[in-house]
Amino acid sequence: MADTAINALAEHQAAQSTEELWSGGQEPVKASYGKLMMWYFLISDTFTFAGFLIAYAAIRFAHPTASSGEWNAWPDPNEVFSATPLTGHAKLPLIFVTFMTFTLIVSSVTMVRAVQEGTRMNRKGVMFWMFWTIIGGIVFVGSQAWEWTHLIHEGMTPTGNPFGAAAFGALFFLITGFHGAHVTVGIIINMIVLFQTWIGTYERRGHYEMIEKVGLYWHFVDLVWVYVFMAFYLL
Amino acid sequence: MATGITHEESIRRVYRVCGILAIVTAVEIIAALAHYSWLGLSVEAQIASKLPLNVLFIVLSAAKAYYIMSEFMHLRYELKPLTISVMAPFLFLIWAIIAFSYEGVSWLQLRNWFG
Repeated sequence: MADTAINALAEHQAAQSTEELWSGGQEPVKASYGKLMMWYFLISDTFTFAGFLIAYAAIRFAHPTASSGEWNAWPDPNEVFSATPLTGHAKLPLIFVTFMTFTLIVSSVTMVRAVQEGTRMNRKGVMFWMFWTIIGGIVFVGSQAWEWTHLIHEGMTPTGNPFGAAAFGALFFLITGFHGAHVTVGIIINMIVLFQTWIGTYERRGHYEMIEKVGLYWHFVDLVWVYVFMAFYLL
Repeated sequence: MATGITHEESIRRVYRVCGILAIVTAVEIIAALAHYSWLGLSVEAQIASKLPLNVLFIVLSAAKAYYIMSEFMHLRYELKPLTISVMAPFLFLIWAIIAFSYEGVSWLQLRNWFG
């Protein structure tokens, strides 16, 4: 008698865990554990980036503006970011970073498409869109590597640069580097997820929620770029 | 997935948001380049118009962040408590931005006074 009751309880618990309900027997805010924790990780990461960008603001305000003409003035982004590949020494302010920004937006769109195909259990569709998301990420990181190389050739280091305030170079390498590292990690995670989709892991699991979770991370990287782009290239 | 809307409709929404983000980014770049060289502004006019231009950039970036979070990150279709618990911590940042910007201005003044 007691045996059957214990067995029934064990079966009940097993059924609950397969439904991925949290221990209370009901999902909080109708989100799975993994998805909610991804959100909370992204909040903590937002504070890291916010800390960097607020430090950028404070240090920038502590320098004379570009138009003051002083030796330690904060550089004008139109002067610093004026090079584009394959155009030699032509001065094309902000054109290359526009290309980088569009690349990241498009790779976000392909990621959403992968999530949508995942909800329809379309394995081929997920693989197709994940592939293009990875390509978009690689193009972005490659573009950033080109821009870094160019600026290093121009003489920009973490301790000085020919454009003005020395802190500009340090903050540029710190913040775009930290963002680029996030994109790189995202590419690696996307590759793992693409591989798992290919070998049918999610097909067997019965849902493609993993695509949604890595998608959140990927969109977050796009979101951070909106503000890095604003702080360094526009303001 | 977005509840209550068809697969085709959700695909349309994604491409519409992509279009909005692309247009907003293009407007930002065009505004920056017009201010820098295309309009041929004098140095005085450039300095005078820099603040309203920066306000425009901040507003447009916030609009982009809204679209990325609501549509791409799907927050629009989640339950309200999830949205609130994600967004509420960012309220702390408002004061941090104001306080540290003032702090930066103050550092510049100290430098100017004490060389």
